[in-house]
Amino acid sequence: MASNASRPVQRRDLGLWLAAAAVSTSLLALAALLWVLLAQSWQAFAPAPVALLQWRDDAGEHSLLASVLAQDEQVLIVRGSEWQRRGDAYRRVLRSSLVHLSFPADALNLRLADGREILLRGSEQSWRGLDPQQRLVLPGADGEVPVRGADLVEVVAVNALSGWQRLGTGLQRALGFAGGTGGSGLFAALLGTVVLVMLMSVLVMPLGVLVALWLHEYAGNDQLARGLRAAIANLASVPSVIYGLFGLVLFVHGIGGSLDVLLSGTTAPVPHWGRGGLLWSALTLALLTLPVVVISVEEGLARVPPGLRQAALALGATRAEMLWRVVLPVARPALLTALILAVARAAGEVAPLMLVGAVKYAPALPLNGEFPYLHLSQQFMHLGHGVYDLALTGSDGPRDLAQAHATALLLLLVVIGLNASAIVVRNRLRERSRELSA
Amino acid sequence: MSAPAPVAAMPGGLLDGQELALQARGLSLDYGSRRALDAVDLAVPCRRVTALIGPSGCGKSSLLRCFNRLNDEIADCRIVGDVRVFGADAYAAELSLPELRRRVGMVFQKPNPFPQSVSENVAFGLRLAGLRARLELEDRVEAALRAAGLWEEVRDRLGESALRLSAGQQQRLVIARALAVEPQVLLMDEPASMLDPISTLRFEELVVALRERYSVLLVTHNMQQAARVADYTAYMQAGRLLEFDTTDRIFTNPRLRGTEDYITGKLARDEE
Repeated sequence: MASNASRPVQRRDLGLWLAAAAVSTSLLALAALLWVLLAQSWQAFAPAPVALLQWRDDAGEHSLLASVLAQDEQVLIVRGSEWQRRGDAYRRVLRSSLVHLSFPADALNLRLADGREILLRGSEQSWRGLDPQQRLVLPGADGEVPVRGADLVEVVAVNALSGWQRLGTGLQRALGFAGGTGGSGLFAALLGTVVLVMLMSVLVMPLGVLVALWLHEYAGNDQLARGLRAAIANLASVPSVIYGLFGLVLFVHGIGGSLDVLLSGTTAPVPHWGRGGLLWSALTLALLTLPVVVISVEEGLARVPPGLRQAALALGATRAEMLWRVVLPVARPALLTALILAVARAAGEVAPLMLVGAVKYAPALPLNGEFPYLHLSQQFMHLGHGVYDLALTGSDGPRDLAQAHATALLLLLVVIGLNASAIVVRNRLRERSRELSA
Repeated sequence: MSAPAPVAAMPGGLLDGQELALQARGLSLDYGSRRALDAVDLAVPCRRVTALIGPSGCGKSSLLRCFNRLNDEIADCRIVGDVRVFGADAYAAELSLPELRRRVGMVFQKPNPFPQSVSENVAFGLRLAGLRARLELEDRVEAALRAAGLWEEVRDRLGESALRLSAGQQQRLVIARALAVEPQVLLMDEPASMLDPISTLRFEELVVALRERYSVLLVTHNMQQAARVADYTAYMQAGRLLEFDTTDRIFTNPRLRGTEDYITGKLARDEE
């Protein structure tokens, strides 16, 4: 086979195979990541079949309407209706203890606006046609619960669903999860993430560009500038949680605390600025991404043809005018590259945010119709923080874990979306400058 | 290197009675420890074309950039001597650098239009000077393009990118850009070296026409070009200005052997 091939060619082939293996390993890892996220997310939303269970144990005979999340030959893992759960949402039921197991076609899964689920039997039509104003009382283990018709967001006869209907219901639930506000949805976290990243961009870009301009155009190459450059490059590799700690001390306690004293005269019992908030988080992330921005903007500035600088100066431009009117416009694609890198780094950060403002549940959106519309001092929800929160501190074990994956998927989509839009803008700019240089 | 020329670079009385646009006296320039100009004396008469010739690296461009102080941008560049623009000290402390550069325009070797539209390029210097009125800007842009002999070719392409023009057009565009701010002097640093023969011819016609209103100091490697367009020619070698005379005399009867050798192409490369 390789009889005709000389040694160097064989060696090159080996390199090719190694490279191909590396590439496919990376692609496989990426595909696996996406697959896990998708599969787990589906677990969070797929309508599980509802079984009627009757079993007997030492305490006597039990009867339960429950969603069957998993089953094998010995065990069923079921989740009772929220009404019937008391602490233990999940239950392992041995098949051998079962007296009765059936999947009644009239089993209904009712979902309330706050995310709770109720399992019961009845007619889908009669629940669907409920007057939103009508008050009704649902039977629960903790007693009877008053509910209004409007609170019902979903009525599904789960056992009667076809495959496509199951998919549709799952997707609908996923959308509701992503878009819903309040405790049951991710919209607040989604908005918090996007607003945070945008605020961070608005803060870091001017600062980063100015620092890069100073370093590249004014500082020259003396010891101070070289030292600063080295310091900035090293800052890029400082672990993000350290920035969080720094932000907590400097922004939250330092600046925020002083602001409170300044504005209210005394240390307020309930700090307003002196606690984690959107602005402090954005500033912390801006600091975190500053080195990336400075380094890539500086590279962009270095690529501006010297002929253009000289032409501007020779026409009577001051240094500042030359930079503002010629160098920066020509370096625009590089600025966007810097922004893309900053967004990519910042959008996925969680650790520093836990110290300076991201919370599990914020009562109001960071951006809403109430004056002053953008609430800089407010704590906010964040997708990355949500992943951590759902995965580690959730009360509802497996379901929270599944929702953590769904949140992670959404975070991934947000990061990709933010990056993609920046890349589109950059490519458009490049096209324009290519047109200009054609 | 041979000893400095014993004769004065300029024959006495040559420029008597002429107004001088640019003047350098005892001008020396060092880049760090490297001496680029050594006690250069040069006078550029008003409304004439003066050519600066000499082997590569002899300091022609450095000398040129002393008059609009573009050398200031180079960190380790040191200048000693007297540089005057219309009699005023170009290195005076109270002098406004943008003001000086508006009076002393420059055209570079490589056409360097900004990546903007044709008209924006020409208007660049005007906007810097604070001109905002649209109609006046349009008029001045048109006048500058006409003066650079480009108007007929680009009148329908004013909004188009300057980088779409041909190299010859680009070079005339940057001349228009320099002319738009109505300088008194134009410094040209081998402006035709990147142009094809036809564009070069057009460029030379333009330079001859410019001499009606502007004083031009032209660095060139093209001997025929200097002979065709320049009234006066200065010969430089190794940082010294060795001979200055009317173009006619320089090309027909130079006083120095070195000048003659260079003009006739006999100068050995290692003497650069």
